[in-house]
Amino acid sequence: MSKTIYPDSNIPAELSVEVIREDSLRPTRKWGRSTQIWLGCLLMVAGWGLYAYIHQLRHGLGETAMRNYVSWGLYISTFVFFIGISHSGTLVSAILRITKQDWRMPITRIAELMTFVSLLFGGIMPIIDLGRPDRIANLVIFGRVQSPLMWDVMSILTYFTGSTIFLWLPMIPDMALSRDRLTVCDSRFKKFRKWLYTKLAIGWTGSKTQWKRLELVMTIMTIVIIPVAVSVHTVVSYIFAMTLRPGWNSTVFGPYFVAGALYSGSAIVILAMVVFRKLYHLEKYITYRHFDLMGRVVLALTLIYAYLNLNEYWIPAYKMATAEGHLLHDLFSGSYSTAFWLCQFGTVLFPIIVMCFPKGRTPGMLAFICSLIAVGAWVKRYLIVVPTLLHPFLPIQDVPQDWAQYFPNWVEWSVTMGALSGILIVITLYAKLFPMMSIWEVVHGAKVEENKRIATEKGEHEEEELLKAESVHAKTSKGKTTIVMANGNK
Amino acid sequence: MNIMKIFSITTAAVLLCGVSFAQAQKSESSIQLSFSKKTDNSKIVNALVMGKKSGEKFSPAKNAHISFYAKKEKELVLITKSITDGQGKTNALLPKDLPLDTGRYFGITVKLENDSVYENSEEELRLKDVNLAIQLNPHDTARIMTATVTEITADGNVKGVKDVPINFYVQRLFGIMPAAEEHTVNTNEKGEAVFSFPKGIPGDTAGNMTVVARIDDNDMYGTVESQSPCAWGKVVPLEKDPFPREIWGAQAPWGLIITLSILYGGVWFCYFFMFFQLRKIKTEEDLTVNS
Repeated sequence: MSKTIYPDSNIPAELSVEVIREDSLRPTRKWGRSTQIWLGCLLMVAGWGLYAYIHQLRHGLGETAMRNYVSWGLYISTFVFFIGISHSGTLVSAILRITKQDWRMPITRIAELMTFVSLLFGGIMPIIDLGRPDRIANLVIFGRVQSPLMWDVMSILTYFTGSTIFLWLPMIPDMALSRDRLTVCDSRFKKFRKWLYTKLAIGWTGSKTQWKRLELVMTIMTIVIIPVAVSVHTVVSYIFAMTLRPGWNSTVFGPYFVAGALYSGSAIVILAMVVFRKLYHLEKYITYRHFDLMGRVVLALTLIYAYLNLNEYWIPAYKMATAEGHLLHDLFSGSYSTAFWLCQFGTVLFPIIVMCFPKGRTPGMLAFICSLIAVGAWVKRYLIVVPTLLHPFLPIQDVPQDWAQYFPNWVEWSVTMGALSGILIVITLYAKLFPMMSIWEVVHGAKVEENKRIATEKGEHEEEELLKAESVHAKTSKGKTTIVMANGNK
Repeated sequence: MNIMKIFSITTAAVLLCGVSFAQAQKSESSIQLSFSKKTDNSKIVNALVMGKKSGEKFSPAKNAHISFYAKKEKELVLITKSITDGQGKTNALLPKDLPLDTGRYFGITVKLENDSVYENSEEELRLKDVNLAIQLNPHDTARIMTATVTEITADGNVKGVKDVPINFYVQRLFGIMPAAEEHTVNTNEKGEAVFSFPKGIPGDTAGNMTVVARIDDNDMYGTVESQSPCAWGKVVPLEKDPFPREIWGAQAPWGLIITLSILYGGVWFCYFFMFFQLRKIKTEEDLTVNS
């Protein structure tokens, strides 16, 4: 096998190609005790979630708190939340790539990984919500093309495939690097890693033709993945908006869900940036500037989300139609009012105010704000799903008490926490196997920065020469006493 | 010897207790009967058997052993035996020459007996055998239909039965539909009930339909039914496309299928194109290695 060739010249001494490569690959070679303890804890939670799911599978959905009226509870709320997070990859990676925002380079992989894992587990949640998961095959056998549920399955499958490819494509050169470096570095599971990196690198040598092909497919993928991502969350909103129910019967649901997804997804990316920056010592690469810019992105998205939120509640609140009125009263001043107003003020208005100030966009503050946004987005999905189901057009009458109210029980919490642990397990394993930064892109970014610096220095030198010449010319031609400063000011 | 005695007594006591316990465990049972006579004069007795364990509600008795008897003077003659289905139901076709008593009544006794799960129970049915006949002219534009209820007297004569309520229906695909809001007529002294059939009831493509006259669940006669085909219905032409393609129909509109196919097909085409390009990357590497 021939050695890989990398585009690696003119890198500043402090960020040489070798330093970037080592900084990116070093964490993949370590399996410290803390990692093992962390994975052990996650596996325990996931195992408990699996036990709860098997319990639910054996005894039926009656073991959950869901009943006739609330048939979509915590599982579907979590599904919508996870699908929302998946928009992070599209935003940070695809949109910033297509708009040629070079600062994105160290954080694209984190964002793409968040998309992949959240879709993986988001797609599982509706199956968990089925009492008979084997009946999912009926969707394929007897599925109606007219049903938004069918579009949902098609969209998520398409987006998951696309996101997996989108995560893998920029990894190909890095996989080749990892494959080549493995021969000289000591690491765990060496044989497995060698096999994995070789397979994923698909024989990458870094030839010009290969780079050309990779750039072509990445450009296509970048263009394709954006509408697919938008369609996914729009279609997820359709499974609510295309049913005739108070609170869901809304034309703004599509953009509202997309905005909410981008807002929560980008907040999750910032959280992941904070964690990996700290754990993997990536301070040189993920700088305050990245946080400041991502903070601005989240601020803009929060403002859009707040605007759509206002439309979503203000218009029906102005009319207060009978059924909608009951729901809105419950949200504004009833049993869900605390959660509702905490969401509106604590996770929308408060973040907007904080992020308006530069000090609110520092890593520490953003970690706090984005944690609030993440929790708020989850609670908001719950508030979209559950209160509506408890306020049907035909009032709930003469039914057992537990049908007319809902709060998830231990089975649902266990399964959901198990799914969350599953996400963290996949992220941890990924981070221990693959570099968390796109090495070749960061190298390219460093090269671009270096070229800029050289160009600026050259430009400044030429400007100085020009100013000197001008000042001499001014003195000699007019004979006046004029002080000309080096920067051109008089 | 004493030991043998004690052993025998203990064994007998244990067996006795076991038998008593098993008997005590049997479920209480009840039987409900109904009788129906069809157009072809076939007579059927339907039995619904319910069982109940102590402290529970009655529920259908599955696999209960049921015997049907005809009453001949003071004796019971076995007609047939049967086992109930999952809904606790069973039935028996009665013989044409059922023994009648002096009042021209026939008696049927249904017993649940010798069943391992349910206690013994029985129910009796005593009804009068009458005939119901329909007279109509299929081409009568006034749509007059006459249903006649007759019985055979002890001396073998046919006699009309008066004051029997007859209901008039139209046979539909999944059941019978009342022919009009006022669809019950009592028989006169001749045993005749005359009913003017309404216009506009949908028939088939030629206007054909089946009219039904019925004595419904009568205490004295049970259910007696007679049917007759006629062409009194409204002609309903065959729909060329009974299930058009629409959003809320069984089949999706072509517009939707084409749009979705283009959208998703386009995206998946891009994916396959990418795989094709990635495969070329792999092939190029192989060529480099070989060269």
